[in-house]
Amino acid sequence: MRHQNATAYRFLAPYLLIFSVFWVWPIISSFLISFQATRTVPWRWAPTFNWGRLIGDPAFFNALKNTLLILVIQVPVMISLAIVMAVLLNSPLLKARGLYRFAFFAPVVVGEVAYSAVFRLMFNLNFGIINKLLNSVGLPSIDWFSNVTPAMALIMIAVTWRWAGYNAIILLAGLQSIPDDVYEAATLDRVSKVKQFFYITLPLLKPIIVFCAVLSIIGTMQLFTEPFLITERGGPGGGTETLGLLLYRQGFRSLNFGYASAVAYTMAGLAIAITLVQLWLTKEPK
Amino acid sequence: MAAVTLSNVVKRFGVYEIIHGANIDIADGEFVVFVGPSGCGKSTLLRMVAGLEDISGGEIAIGGKVMNDVEAAERGIAMVFQSYALYPHMTVEQNLSFGLRMNGNPKADTERRVKRAAEILCIDELMQRRPKQLSGGQRQRVAIGRAIVREPQVFLFDEPLSNLDAELRVQMRVEISRLHKELGVTMIYVTHDQTEAMTLADRIVVLKAGNVEQIGAPLDLYDDPANRFVAGFIGSPKMNFLAAKVVEAGNGSATVELVNHASARLKKSLQTTPPAVGADVVLGVRPEHFFDAGQGDCDIAVKADVAEHLGSVSYVYADAGDTELIIEREASRQRASGDHLVVSIKAGKALLFDTKGARIR
Ligand SMILES: Nc1ncnc2c1ncn2[C@@H]1O[C@H](COP(=O)(O)OP(=O)(O)O)[C@@H](O)[C@H]1O
Ligand SMILES: [Mg+2]
Repeated sequence: MRHQNATAYRFLAPYLLIFSVFWVWPIISSFLISFQATRTVPWRWAPTFNWGRLIGDPAFFNALKNTLLILVIQVPVMISLAIVMAVLLNSPLLKARGLYRFAFFAPVVVGEVAYSAVFRLMFNLNFGIINKLLNSVGLPSIDWFSNVTPAMALIMIAVTWRWAGYNAIILLAGLQSIPDDVYEAATLDRVSKVKQFFYITLPLLKPIIVFCAVLSIIGTMQLFTEPFLITERGGPGGGTETLGLLLYRQGFRSLNFGYASAVAYTMAGLAIAITLVQLWLTKEPK
Repeated sequence: MAAVTLSNVVKRFGVYEIIHGANIDIADGEFVVFVGPSGCGKSTLLRMVAGLEDISGGEIAIGGKVMNDVEAAERGIAMVFQSYALYPHMTVEQNLSFGLRMNGNPKADTERRVKRAAEILCIDELMQRRPKQLSGGQRQRVAIGRAIVREPQVFLFDEPLSNLDAELRVQMRVEISRLHKELGVTMIYVTHDQTEAMTLADRIVVLKAGNVEQIGAPLDLYDDPANRFVAGFIGSPKMNFLAAKVVEAGNGSATVELVNHASARLKKSLQTTPPAVGADVVLGVRPEHFFDAGQGDCDIAVKADVAEHLGSVSYVYADAGDTELIIEREASRQRASGDHLVVSIKAGKALLFDTKGARIR
């Protein structure tokens, strides 16, 4: 038995080696770097240098505020939308189900740059289709890129567009695992369709909803592409800068790796904390 | 409580007709079992009564009221599903009370009904558990309890015992029988198991490929089946069928000769015109209707292959030329494998069928 295990580990060794060097070590290393002053040569051990700066940095709090704002608005909206989409997708009345499934999944596959460019065009002040549509129902054009509130809304719309279908597909799998006869029993129990949704579908779907929420929270905590490409590096004036952008700006523009590492660990810590709270709040009563 | 009437009920799924015009009258308070092989349309028929399937043709009435266009929820029926279909995230108590709570039934009344159902089914102890924490038999009780709580006019059961082990099945069968006596409500019960049908039913409806083959009390079906299908389906072990030929057709009687037993002739008195001489017929004999040599009207010799000794009776599986016969022997405990056996058939205990399977009376 021990011999067998040893053989197994020898086969695993190449993977474990690469895993340690390129995965485990960077994680440890960046943690250590966050305690070093990295703008002097050579780097200097200074435990409170980055973390101390973090606590008092208005740019950090701006990015944190933006990230959390997107999180608390966009994730619930997107998950709700995904649930509605999944329920519609699961309806026996729907024709061409395969087409919808593809359409829902497509945004995830589209290249990020292409998708961002299309969004920039669609929301363009003068000739974007969105403003044209607003005008056509008598509403004024919105300058999506020069004002903070519309810019934030735009980020949320874009992220939701990109990921709602993906979550809907996951939720659909959950929906399909609820047996038909449970609904039939409820129908015979004289429970209306709407009540069936709230008292049967939602509770039974809860574990999947939590799963989707956790995935989305982790994703949104790291939000980078949309504020980088669509609102041009967190514009206007840092109004849509997220923690992910701040990290990028510090690490790769200012080459301040120590501070970037501290931001990265803050993001990871927050994601873990929020997820744990979420899991704890939605725990099955034993 | 209510009578249920099916008149010329037809069911089509797309172009496929599954039920071909069923006529069934179920009296108020009666226990009727739909029985037939898998895929014959029993569940479909039951689900049409419940309102879970549309009715493609004909009429279904409950308590004298035509239900074709009435929503399932408004038909006053309750159904017990094969898979139990309990609400997985609710406790037993919540499972029982869910429907009533959702419909704003007064709390005190809901509690009373739940308590009564729990007492009837002896599930008081389980009220705070979830379906996952129950055994199959307990889940079945909860499913029945959920039906009782509704106080329906008609109970529908779709193979409720098929997921239980043999022993539990017998026990639940007795309980369902008791429940019917206690509640006195109309019950329609679907099964493919003829033993369940025989033991539970006031009347049995035998179905085959979407057709009603015969309706009648269990023992009437057993003694006087309308055709070869019913004869073979009702009774366990199955009725034996022996190929025969009409050798003499008189007035009110016919003499047949067994094809594989040249000297075995049997004279059957008939109420209808006997078939022509030379016609092929089939003789049906139940395992328990083989008698000792010389005791009946004609003897046949068979070779025993296997014997199953059940204690009070034994079943001998014997080779009779073209077919295998199942012969019941009382108190015969000797090993029979390879034995040559002579058994006797009585004309009065044998049934005659034509080659299409219709009964010749
Ligand atoms: N929703 C459906 N669509 C098409 N055919 C169906 C459907 N439900 C049942 N059938 C067909 O109807 C026949 C009877 O089914 P069912 O009533 O479930 O049989 P049973 O309960 O007697 O085993 C079967 O041949 C089955 O394939
Ligand atoms: Mg069935």
